[in-house]
Amino acid sequence: MLKTSLVIFLLLFNSVFCIKQAAEEFEENLSLKSLRDGRVTSSFSFKTLLRDAAPRDPRTLALDNDDSQHYTLFPLTLGQILRQYAITELHLTLNAGKWNYESWGYPDESGVGVGAELWAWMADGSPSSIDERWQGLRNALAGLFCASLGSLDEQRTTSPRQSFPPQGDLPDWGLPHELRHASHASEHVCTENLTPFLKLLPCKSLSGLATLLNPHRIFDADWHGIGLHVLWLPEGVEVRLNVQLVSDPLRISSTNKQDWSFHSLFDRKVDQACPIAKTSRVAVELPSSGFYRVHPEPLEIKDGQAYYNLKIANEAWNIGTMWPTDFEYPLSKPNQALVPFSVQRSLRGSTQDRGELSIVVTNHQQNTLQLRYLETMPWIIQFYLHTIRVHSDGVLKNDLISNISYVLPVAHSRPATFESILTLPGGSNLTFTMNVAKAFLRYTEHPPDAQRGWDLPPAVFTPLLQSRDDSIGRIYTPSLLVDLATPDFSMPYNVIMFTCSVVAFIFGSVFNVLTRKFVVVRLEPTEIQDN
Amino acid sequence: MKGIYEGGVFRHSPLYIPVNYLRLPFLFNLFGEDFLSAALYTGVDVFAAYALVRIWTARQRKQTLSSESTESKSSLLIIIYTLNPLIILPSLARSTSSVDNAVLLTAICLACEWSTSEVASPAHKETEVSSPSLTDKVDQATPPFALGALFFLALRTHLSIDALILVPPMFMLIFSSPASRLRRPGPFKYAQKYDRPYSFLRQDFVEISLFILLWTALAALTLPSLTPNPGVWWYFFTEMFDHFRPFFLMVFSLHLLLYVAPICIKFQHDPLYSIFILIGILATLKPYPTLSDHGLFVGMWVVMSEVHPYLRHPLPTLLTLLHSSLLQPLFAHLWLTHGTGNANFYYASTLVGACAGGLGIVDSIWAGLRIAVEKGESRNEALEEKEVVTQQ
Repeated sequence: MLKTSLVIFLLLFNSVFCIKQAAEEFEENLSLKSLRDGRVTSSFSFKTLLRDAAPRDPRTLALDNDDSQHYTLFPLTLGQILRQYAITELHLTLNAGKWNYESWGYPDESGVGVGAELWAWMADGSPSSIDERWQGLRNALAGLFCASLGSLDEQRTTSPRQSFPPQGDLPDWGLPHELRHASHASEHVCTENLTPFLKLLPCKSLSGLATLLNPHRIFDADWHGIGLHVLWLPEGVEVRLNVQLVSDPLRISSTNKQDWSFHSLFDRKVDQACPIAKTSRVAVELPSSGFYRVHPEPLEIKDGQAYYNLKIANEAWNIGTMWPTDFEYPLSKPNQALVPFSVQRSLRGSTQDRGELSIVVTNHQQNTLQLRYLETMPWIIQFYLHTIRVHSDGVLKNDLISNISYVLPVAHSRPATFESILTLPGGSNLTFTMNVAKAFLRYTEHPPDAQRGWDLPPAVFTPLLQSRDDSIGRIYTPSLLVDLATPDFSMPYNVIMFTCSVVAFIFGSVFNVLTRKFVVVRLEPTEIQDN
Repeated sequence: MKGIYEGGVFRHSPLYIPVNYLRLPFLFNLFGEDFLSAALYTGVDVFAAYALVRIWTARQRKQTLSSESTESKSSLLIIIYTLNPLIILPSLARSTSSVDNAVLLTAICLACEWSTSEVASPAHKETEVSSPSLTDKVDQATPPFALGALFFLALRTHLSIDALILVPPMFMLIFSSPASRLRRPGPFKYAQKYDRPYSFLRQDFVEISLFILLWTALAALTLPSLTPNPGVWWYFFTEMFDHFRPFFLMVFSLHLLLYVAPICIKFQHDPLYSIFILIGILATLKPYPTLSDHGLFVGMWVVMSEVHPYLRHPLPTLLTLLHSSLLQPLFAHLWLTHGTGNANFYYASTLVGACAGGLGIVDSIWAGLRIAVEKGESRNEALEEKEVVTQQ
């Protein structure tokens, strides 16, 4: 009897604690790189791995008996959101500035589109629809990050599956997975978004690399952005929080040198690594030429990178690089492109009712390049697909565009999704033009500062890979500003009054004439004389 | 079928789709870019002018006019219609309203043809010289006109829903005569032209309702697009507060229907005149008017030549119309392209246009009623000076 009860107790004990033993791991990484134009890019990455965990099956949303959530390192507030809406994969980025691919190269984190961008993969099959869960997700994240993600509504939501494939795995539940993507170019990232972001980290900003996240310096950088990525990998659910920024040491320092250190970039040093981090590593990419000194002495140097392990006790980490000479800005065009192709997008035309969307793509390689071109456009800009013209080096070649798929916009509700494949012969310059119409909006649909215009979301270019060697991901174009015709905001009452008066004048006069009778009045001679 | 309406870019009848396919690529080299559509629109306008002349001939048939003056008037009418900038500009823009006009004029023309072709039939019956075979022949030969009129009216209603308010006067026209009876007003005169007039009505009502079932133009009643046009709706609903929007949409839509019954009753002796007045009301007050709607009103105004001497203020009406037609493109350019004006300028010019339309309608109604008071041959010059015709 005692034996069996002991066995049962052990079984229970095991069943309870095995779940809890799902190991959580935390890693922090920082990579720093000096750029051609003297700037420095810093990329922070904080990874939390929930081992052997899996996303919630949306069919269990009906049952309301989700597993209890006990985390030690994994952010609970985020975990609750992920479980409540059964999100398989989630990517949120909040960026400010224009990522300059030509002089900065391809970023460590590919999501560098300006403004807010949110995309999620979700499985269907729950009692509530995907769009309801998507709405709940963006509202919950808006609350979590204090950002206006609630405005990523159905007027901005698209589903471009090809350009945003899942980066992790999708569970094989036998359910179809759907993508929801929305971006809002005029959303700005600021301190109020960074504070809740830091709260998701196990060490907050008290120790470890997160100490360096000084809002005064991050939001002073030429380009800055924060990101949240949730993936399901074979080993478990991974949450990756990252901060990227491009600072300009030449602007900060008083000398004409591009020297940088933690202290000069962030005005802080790292006193100690985050105690619970499995690894805490800093990688500094060494300049390819010239004299320089990296300090302090790195732990190891491999593939042109100097690595530091912050777990090794030190007084205070102030990693940096120094140059003996002044920085000379490279005035000539660099002969080697950092990215295989570059894109310029513009909206031409001076009128407020129509214009022309123009895209110039330059292939820097010698071999043919195929690009997937994605345009997610709010309904206020309407495309005329029959006016698409593709020129290659000035020669009309409409066969260079193929596989056009187009989801039409719906006025006041749905954006357009335009996807196509562009073929660029080696070293060529491709020009894509298309006429567009600009919509006339209702008085209440205009944003508060209507004359400033509307920010249009960036276009996304994804190379179709021929080889795995030069794998680069999405490239975002800068956002566009479109000037829409505005009504006079000061006179809704006047317009209502004037129009109603004219209609009433016509109505009244017509009925006045219709309801009267014609008579002949004979005038006396005296009356004629009077007249 | 649902696919072509996805996104709301295309809100017309599916019948218009083949028109756009006329720009086939292989014709590029042969005739220039859109030779075929240019030819089509020219043909449509010429056909509309021809239908207008037929309407005019039918209306003048009973009046004492020499054939020579009829000829010269017809060519004048063709010139006025086809060279009217209000007609040419929409055709140059390949506006579907040119086709709409041609279809409507065809419907009216066929209705007039049906009415006039039947005039002989009762006379035959009175003199009792008509053989049964002749009346049979008439009965069999004439329904195609009435059917054609109803078919084109149904087509026009399908192409653009606003023609719905022309349905009652069109039926009145089919059952009476297009000849001007403005001088001799009286109750609606039902011309006994067809032994079983309601037998064809039933099948045609089915035909009409089948067309109307598509309701493609119903979208126009919710005013989804607020692109500036010469009408009064777009700025009103641009500036409208969201919570009042459905109410005023209902008011503006139903308001158009209010004109039908009074005008049809007042001009029951001359249904073609009520059609003319209602065309003017549509041009001024419909949701998406174009220039060619005003052009059609002007064309019909020329047809109603007998009322011209009785208009009270034709010159101010014309000048107001001219004023707004010149200012509208100017202010649209200043607002949208040049950037020196704002929406209010263009809105003001459309208001002037609405006033011009209103003046034209009211004056036409007045002249149409005033003409009846004229005593004709019995009056002498001396007496006329002592008389004042007025309304009570």
